[in-house]
Amino acid sequence: MLFSSITFLYYFLPIFLILYFLTPKKGKNLVLMIASLVFYGWGEPVYLLFMLLSVGVHYVLALLIERHQGRKLARFWLVLAVTFSLALLGYFKYADFFIQNFNAVTGMSLPLLKVALPIGISFYTFQIMSYTIDVYRQETPAQRSIIKLTTYVSMFPQLIAGPIVRYVDVAAGLDEREHSFAKVRSGLRRFMVGLAKKVILANSLGELCQVFLKTPDQTVLFHWLYAVAFTLQIYFDFSGYSDMAIGLGRILGFEFLENFNYPFISKSITEFWRRWHISLSSWFRDYLYIPLGGSRVGRGRLVFNILLVWLLTGFWHGAAWNFIVWGLIFAVLLLVEKLWLSSFLEKVPAWIRHVFVLLVVLLSFVVFDAPDLALAGQRIGAMFGAGKLPWADTVTYYYLRSYGLIIVLAAVCSTPLVKMAFEKLRARAWAEKALAVAEPIVSIVFLLVITGYLVDSSFNPFLYFRF
Amino acid sequence: MKLKKTDFIIVAVVLLLWLLLALVAWINPSQEISLSERRLLQQAPKLEPDSVASGQFMRDFEDYAKDQFPARDTFRSFKAISRYYVLAQADNNDIYIVDGYASKLEFPLKENSVNKAAAKFRAIYEEYIKDTDSKVYLSVIPDKNYYLAEKHGYPAMDYDRLFSLMQEGMDFAEYIDITGELTIEDYYKSDLHWKQENIAAVVDKIAGVLGVSDQLTGNFSDQVHDKVFSGVYAGQSALPLQPDRIVYLTNDATENSIVYNAETELYGPVYDLEKLGGRDPYDVYLSGAVPLLVIENPTAATDRELVIFRDSFASSLAPLLLEGYAKITLIDIRYINSSLIGNYISFSNQDVLFLYNTLILNSSEMLK
Repeated sequence: MLFSSITFLYYFLPIFLILYFLTPKKGKNLVLMIASLVFYGWGEPVYLLFMLLSVGVHYVLALLIERHQGRKLARFWLVLAVTFSLALLGYFKYADFFIQNFNAVTGMSLPLLKVALPIGISFYTFQIMSYTIDVYRQETPAQRSIIKLTTYVSMFPQLIAGPIVRYVDVAAGLDEREHSFAKVRSGLRRFMVGLAKKVILANSLGELCQVFLKTPDQTVLFHWLYAVAFTLQIYFDFSGYSDMAIGLGRILGFEFLENFNYPFISKSITEFWRRWHISLSSWFRDYLYIPLGGSRVGRGRLVFNILLVWLLTGFWHGAAWNFIVWGLIFAVLLLVEKLWLSSFLEKVPAWIRHVFVLLVVLLSFVVFDAPDLALAGQRIGAMFGAGKLPWADTVTYYYLRSYGLIIVLAAVCSTPLVKMAFEKLRARAWAEKALAVAEPIVSIVFLLVITGYLVDSSFNPFLYFRF
Repeated sequence: MKLKKTDFIIVAVVLLLWLLLALVAWINPSQEISLSERRLLQQAPKLEPDSVASGQFMRDFEDYAKDQFPARDTFRSFKAISRYYVLAQADNNDIYIVDGYASKLEFPLKENSVNKAAAKFRAIYEEYIKDTDSKVYLSVIPDKNYYLAEKHGYPAMDYDRLFSLMQEGMDFAEYIDITGELTIEDYYKSDLHWKQENIAAVVDKIAGVLGVSDQLTGNFSDQVHDKVFSGVYAGQSALPLQPDRIVYLTNDATENSIVYNAETELYGPVYDLEKLGGRDPYDVYLSGAVPLLVIENPTAATDRELVIFRDSFASSLAPLLLEGYAKITLIDIRYINSSLIGNYISFSNQDVLFLYNTLILNSSEMLK
């Protein structure tokens, strides 16, 4: 089920919230768990079984790890748990990629499995692995309640597109959490902002990308327009989803960590990845990069560590070479920054570093979105004049005019300018009152307009669902 | 304490309205059709184990929830206004407005589609007409973009190329160019069609080439329908458009002619006035979408016959040519397979006019 759907907004969510808040404290986890299973099963009823199997396996193995703590057996149970999860992920997400490449290399023609990718499998697999690894590391006790563990993994606000919430961050909330009107108000506001980012900005930018892909007569300017639109679309799509997840979590009394922190204002690639999809990069940092030795190793080993982590980061996004190359592009750039350019970059004017990061990110997302590497190269080439395309034509100018304001609005909203303006306003007593009056009005106007977009919609994908 | 009160009020106001909307959505009785969009609406899917397991129930439910949402047209207008006026997008659902005239983006030119249409017409010609003494004509009706798009910076198909492809593909037909006989004012503001009362010049041009000008008196009475007409673009765009009026032109020929509908096997009048209150008031002209119609004009001063292969534009044009013919047959191969035409008509010494608008030629997959 999509957050940005009439089914969710006007059927699932109201019924769930009524039941949730009417249920006594003791039963809230059960209501949340059942609702989450319905939410997940609504899209993929068959794949509910795989998620529950995953929870069951990790539940038992985490208890065994705890029982055999300090012994070799604990490590064995951990390896078994991680292998199980990666095997499941590998089967659904990567099997056909490996078969295709095996066939290409050997000339054989092994049949593809053609299994559908269960929604959110990459997210919940990483979540549950973090739980079991943390139990092994004795950072948290194993959860004895299967309901609480299932609630953690299946929790609908963040189940299918993150952020990747770690068990240690919500363990206390699963046992005891506070509900208040202040939290509900704040959660509602955050949810509405996320919904608007997704439905009004991301979907509109997505339409522009679709137009680009369908237009046979291309131009240089249209390639740039597409690159900008897709980069902004993926940001607003994913950060909008994260906002909605964080907002819903807050309504339910949980506090999820931030997943985005204005990545487009970064002045280095290192900074960009501290601001973009924070929950994924910190997962790889804590569960792969640091165990491999992190930065406190020799130069050769550091290169290996970074290349491996970013190869896997790219591969996590999808079973295709363009995702691997996308990850490796960042690996190379991060290595260059880390090993050679860190002191030099400090002397370069901030705006040049900023433009450089934006350009790299823009081009990287052209690779990210391309169905294959050849087309990625072709599109990037076209942006710089290869292919002898005309600079622009009527179609390009039309779409530039039609989406110009949305692009400008999206660009402004991707910076902290709006947030800063609100903070400045809040500092004044009169504005605080005015904002309190405006808040429900704006929320309701957003809700009505977004509902209009949804009832009249034909384009409403969540890009991160495929990961 | 004061802050807590503010929190409570804000949460209560937003959630109450949300819940109210949800409640109305749950109890809102289902509608069968959307008059504004002229389409059937999704009904509540049946809850069956197979459809749930396959996910079909869930997909249908979302369509149902969207289609049956209370005050759906109002919400669609919220979106349209936000998009078109607030976010300054140049179109909504591909429909743009210039000087009050709404038009739907149609580009690029699909040469394959145009060539297929020409090939389809050629096949009809070769199967039914080639070895007869019928005369064949072709005329292409430009859609509104022809007069609006390029001039105002909207993308449009290459019309010259389309006209030339059709002429090349149908070199057996005499081409009648009517682009100079029309302006944007000759079309409805809220609909894709031309206005019957504004196409006298087109009728003159076609009648002149067909050689029936002498029979046409041009003496028509304007019958203005008292209700406003919101055309198909008004519903599709959900934008506030100026409504139009349906005017139908009558004279002795239109009043005395009888229309035979080969599908229903019923006879009726040239203007089906019941349709004025229906889903699409433009259907008043020859009852709208019908596979095969035969209009017999008992008052004609000639025994000439005309066969029109056509789309909906011809519905309003054919009545204006009635004085020149004893019989006009209209064939719409979007609704009848062209291989069946021989069951209904034999070609011999008729005028045969292929009359299609550019939108159909650019999407000719609908021609059977």
